[in-house]
Amino acid sequence: MMQTSPEIGGMGHSVKRKEDARFIQGKGTYVDDVHLPGMVYGHVVRSPYGHARLKSINIEAAMKVPGALAVITGADLAAANLAWMPTLFHDKQMVLATGKVLFQAQEVAFAVATEQYAAADMAELVEVEYEELPVLVDPHKALDADAPILREDREEKSNHIFHWEVGDRHETQKAIQGGPVTAKVDAVFQRCHPAPLETCGCVADFNKVTGKLTIWLTSQAPHAHRTLFALVGGIPEQNIRVISPDIGGGFGNKVPIYPGYVCAVVASLTLGRPVKWIESRSENLQSTGFARDYHMTAEIAAERDGTVKALRVKTLADHGAFNAAAQPSKFPAGLFSICTGSYDFPKAFCEVDGVYTNKAPGGIAYRCSFRVTEAAYLIERAMDVLAYELKMDPAALRLKNFIPPDKFPYQCPLGWTYDSGNYPAAMNLALKMAGYDELRKEQAEKRKKGELMGIGISSFTEIVGAGPAHTFDIVGIKMFDSCEIRIHPTGKAIARLGTKSQGQGHETTFPQIIAQELGIPQQDIVLEEGDTDTAPYGLGTYASRSTPVAGGATAMASRKIRDKARKIAAHLLEVSEEDLEWEPGKFFVKGAPSKAKTIQEIAFAAYTNLPAGMEAGLEAVHYYDPPNLTFPFGTYICVVDIDKGTGEVKVRRFIAVDDCGNIINPMIVEGQIHGGLTEGLAIAFMQLIGYDESGNVQGGNFMDYLLPTAVETPNWETGKTCTPSPHHPIGAKGVGESPNVGSPAAFVNAVVDALSHLGVRHIDMPVTSWKVWQILQQHGIA
Amino acid sequence: MAVRIENTFEVSETIGEVWALLSDPRNVVGCVPGAKIIETVDDRTFKGAISVKVGPSLTEYKGEVKIVRLEEQLHLLELDGRGQDVRGKGGASMKMTGSLEALDGGGTRVTAISEVNVVGMLAQFGGRMLTDVSGVIFKQFTERFQEKLKNPGAEIQGADKPIKGVRVVSKALGQSIRRALGGSDEPR
Repeated sequence: MMQTSPEIGGMGHSVKRKEDARFIQGKGTYVDDVHLPGMVYGHVVRSPYGHARLKSINIEAAMKVPGALAVITGADLAAANLAWMPTLFHDKQMVLATGKVLFQAQEVAFAVATEQYAAADMAELVEVEYEELPVLVDPHKALDADAPILREDREEKSNHIFHWEVGDRHETQKAIQGGPVTAKVDAVFQRCHPAPLETCGCVADFNKVTGKLTIWLTSQAPHAHRTLFALVGGIPEQNIRVISPDIGGGFGNKVPIYPGYVCAVVASLTLGRPVKWIESRSENLQSTGFARDYHMTAEIAAERDGTVKALRVKTLADHGAFNAAAQPSKFPAGLFSICTGSYDFPKAFCEVDGVYTNKAPGGIAYRCSFRVTEAAYLIERAMDVLAYELKMDPAALRLKNFIPPDKFPYQCPLGWTYDSGNYPAAMNLALKMAGYDELRKEQAEKRKKGELMGIGISSFTEIVGAGPAHTFDIVGIKMFDSCEIRIHPTGKAIARLGTKSQGQGHETTFPQIIAQELGIPQQDIVLEEGDTDTAPYGLGTYASRSTPVAGGATAMASRKIRDKARKIAAHLLEVSEEDLEWEPGKFFVKGAPSKAKTIQEIAFAAYTNLPAGMEAGLEAVHYYDPPNLTFPFGTYICVVDIDKGTGEVKVRRFIAVDDCGNIINPMIVEGQIHGGLTEGLAIAFMQLIGYDESGNVQGGNFMDYLLPTAVETPNWETGKTCTPSPHHPIGAKGVGESPNVGSPAAFVNAVVDALSHLGVRHIDMPVTSWKVWQILQQHGIA
Repeated sequence: MAVRIENTFEVSETIGEVWALLSDPRNVVGCVPGAKIIETVDDRTFKGAISVKVGPSLTEYKGEVKIVRLEEQLHLLELDGRGQDVRGKGGASMKMTGSLEALDGGGTRVTAISEVNVVGMLAQFGGRMLTDVSGVIFKQFTERFQEKLKNPGAEIQGADKPIKGVRVVSKALGQSIRRALGGSDEPR
């Protein structure tokens, strides 16, 4: 790829983030910063019970609060046929409870008042009578004969949601039985939550005069949400405008449509006033899209020399009360079948069963392409268990079984075609950066002295950029994405995309792609996203899809503009198009570089001096349908020391080598990796949305659901290799989620490695000091 | 969220005197801050209410208390209680076993074992908080019970006032913090 000058600032330049100027000065505009004349406030009344029948709701006392305007209940919504709404995944969920409640913190009523605190006071005073029902929190008991049936609304009287399988069951079973060496691991990827800095919320403003509904929404996918509001609410789509202003982190949490949004819209339609609803931190953690909750078993068969023969995976998926998984509609377990990872398994089989429990609904992709995080964690854990069985070094075992670089594009046994990869290169760089052999020597010496030190490796393969239209859609809408570019007469530009940044730095990176393709300096290009009245239709930002999909659209739209620019340049230079050569920023006559027209001169001509018969203007729009997914990868190495007395794990070093193909902005990629690793650390050691046997949330606030600070976060050592995607217009693969996908296994592998000589083969996350201390106690160490 | 709480205290009154007081739920309820009996269903079943004030919000639990076991010879009392916040903010159930033991010096040892199960906001504070909150409430109960023993006829001052949850919670929180810092449970 041609390197542009720093003035142009195309791909590969660490351009400082344009959006940060307003963010660090507190000048961002988030949904809660929207204030409209006559605006009123909503507050959700929530269920204290995990499972209970709703007997009565009395709003009398609530309506006596000064400023009270309305209390909306499930019965009110039922009258308008809105008590239920479709989820993103072939199910429906209650907007406000009717009949019964199915999880603690479920939405029961919506109080509206002229002041925010009055609405909260009203919610306190709404009297709800419940009759407790038996609670189901353990997914392993969901299919028992005596389990309470949670979903009375469904025809099928069972808590079973789906069974899904892929691969060759028979052949895989044969291979596993044949050994000669087998390894097995039962691993739970615990229920966790993205906990974005900004919680979810909206301002719904229905104008009774124009009939137009404007919704400021914490949305990662504003266009899809507009269509869903139109389909579910029956409002003509041209009369709905969804605006996603600045978004304070999403990580998948802002992909679903939540009951609070619908209630605010209903309240605005009813009252004819703008209605704001912003959830609290606890409401966010307790009721909005959780992630993971996969209860998995992996079995590997291998030859005695370590060559893997087959992988079998069986998983129980806890989806909570409603299947509100946010994932492509043909994939009930998302892209979990990427579970063969970086390894050349001749045979594989994977099956997943989903069940309902009395927990919050979700199954969203937390910084993850639809379950790739669970898959990567499982295979990377299982490979370590196999290494212990074989008494083989885990790095050597991985190197032996990597898909060889010359086998790409690689067809995996579970159906995916990996675009490109060079796994040994990433691994070898990581081993070198870590000083792996010395670390192993140090570990052996420490072990002799009774000290606990562990080295964990994770050499993951990602699957991102959903996705090709033939396979990928969400509620029927194909997963393309879009970019529209308009070049102004002075050579400056505006670009609009169907994606929506939540902190990723789109305002900086997408102009860099255009700068690369057209030579217009990146600072001359404004980027706009998130307003459905102006941006072209797109499926939004999640699952690391912005660069692979919208990045493709941006490059393709730029190239359409360049094609027209060439025609104009030929006209201006009075030569034929074939006589022209391009370098970023100008066309020049072959062999006569001084005879040139800059892109700015061409842009001016597009409005002032066109060839005969050509349409005026210089703009293009492109809807990009990716031919395949992209497969970023990397190797992470984690070194831990464990305090024998307390079980406290200290991450001494963490080496992260990532390969995300061609890089748009190295500084932003580095930042993405730091952020994702920090989230991975939190998942591995700190975070769990737990439930007690009565259905009470045990991780519903920041006292129990811990976030890592600078104190807990180690120094991240990053490195990179570059294997471009062969099918992507700019060879980029996407990176946002890689560190979150790849790191949990590295952390856990390191802790298990430190304790492996005691026979420890697995510890479920979060790996707390308490868990480690108990293990040390059992072995008479602590 | 289920927790088991065991409490013991000693009084100078004889086992007979203590039993007379303990075996009548009306007396026991009278000693629980914020609690009152609203209706006597039969001689073993009572409907009652208890108010807990946390900050500006007053939570009123209504429910039923049943005497499951009442054995004078063993000086053993078993109560089953179940209540719901009248505004639907949560519920609680409790199984309490109270027993008396005569002491050598003529006094009595009272032991109460409670298994409390709480659903709702309070339960989200987790066991650490619930145990501490219960501890504070039980301490107040003990004081009132002893007062009533000394002066059976007297109305207890402020017995029908709600439990001040803020004070209870902050006291309990203080205990949690002290414990986390390695101190003892006793306030200094």
